[in-house]
Amino acid sequence: MPVWQSIYEELKSENFEIISVAQDTGGEEAAGHIFDDANVSYTAIIDVNHQISSLYNLVNVPSGVWIDEQGSIMRINEGTYAKEHMNGAWGTNDYVPIVRDWVAKGADSEHVWDRSKVRESIIQRTPEAERAQPAFRLGGYYFTNDNDEKAEQYWTMAQELDPTSWNYLRQDLQYEEGGSAGPEWRARREQIEGAGGAYYAPLEIKNN
Amino acid sequence: MKTIKSIAGLTAVMLISGALNAQSATVLYNERVVELEQTLPDATDLWVKPEDLTRVNDFVLKPEGACLDELCVPVLQDRDSAMFITRQGQPWFNVTELADKLQQAYVTDYNDGIWSFGTVPVTRQSFLRGGEAPDFELMGRDGELVRLSDFRGKKVLLLTWASW
Repeated sequence: MPVWQSIYEELKSENFEIISVAQDTGGEEAAGHIFDDANVSYTAIIDVNHQISSLYNLVNVPSGVWIDEQGSIMRINEGTYAKEHMNGAWGTNDYVPIVRDWVAKGADSEHVWDRSKVRESIIQRTPEAERAQPAFRLGGYYFTNDNDEKAEQYWTMAQELDPTSWNYLRQDLQYEEGGSAGPEWRARREQIEGAGGAYYAPLEIKNN
Repeated sequence: MKTIKSIAGLTAVMLISGALNAQSATVLYNERVVELEQTLPDATDLWVKPEDLTRVNDFVLKPEGACLDELCVPVLQDRDSAMFITRQGQPWFNVTELADKLQQAYVTDYNDGIWSFGTVPVTRQSFLRGGEAPDFELMGRDGELVRLSDFRGKKVLLLTWASW
């Protein structure tokens, strides 16, 4: 997050904005201090219903979307860390430079995708996965109204309807023994990666 | 014919007594939580007063039908139908029937009378087919509403993350 703040400082005068959205049912209490610690001055939102993931068909965090001056998507659905994390287990230092290139060159940047590439990169949902959205929303409603039993019921339903969503799984695990990065999460990851799937959609970065 | 009328009359009487305990309901749609004081009791469907429709899902009931911007779903209003009925002069609109027609997903907790609706698929085509960024309206941490459309003319890097 401090990295994004420095990128923002560097590029904000070039018609560039960062909208950073925490997917956190726990709200301000859970996520607010992280924004505060980084002293962010870009647009900060705490999205308790995961509405942005719902609208943009995203299933994991962090995820990034590039949106141009007219509101068209230029890249979507990428695991976008600002720099290498956990000794390179996640993220890359190569992502920020392509953001810089896009801000400088706009549509002429080689890192901008064409329409068909954007379309192909948007995750398609099954009808069941579509129902997972209102199920998760209902679980969140119960969570905020302190009905943990029903929150769990509808969060479980959301996970069953959309087993591809890491967000639904981990938001729920956060409130269970073991936490959001505990044994259950690790087992699920290994299962998917073992079957040739990816935890994050691979980041495609063209080298000059 | 007379018999049918009297049966219809009887049904109406039963529905009036039902209407007296018209149920309250809660509707979740995007960020909104809409409390409805009165809905028509029904085991499977959500019937709301036409004036509540817009609060629930942005649709407006017009003579040509239930409309959202240019989209209008035809609704007969001079007689009862699956989408619209009148009981004792009170019209009721079937929100779940409309959702089914639009293939809009929803999940219901019948015991608590809470109806949670997903997005309306027709409003998603410009995103899914055209790669246009869906607009949103969320409260920013500074207390100001944030709309993506307010950033037209700027490049936006939209990032999601989580504390968990």
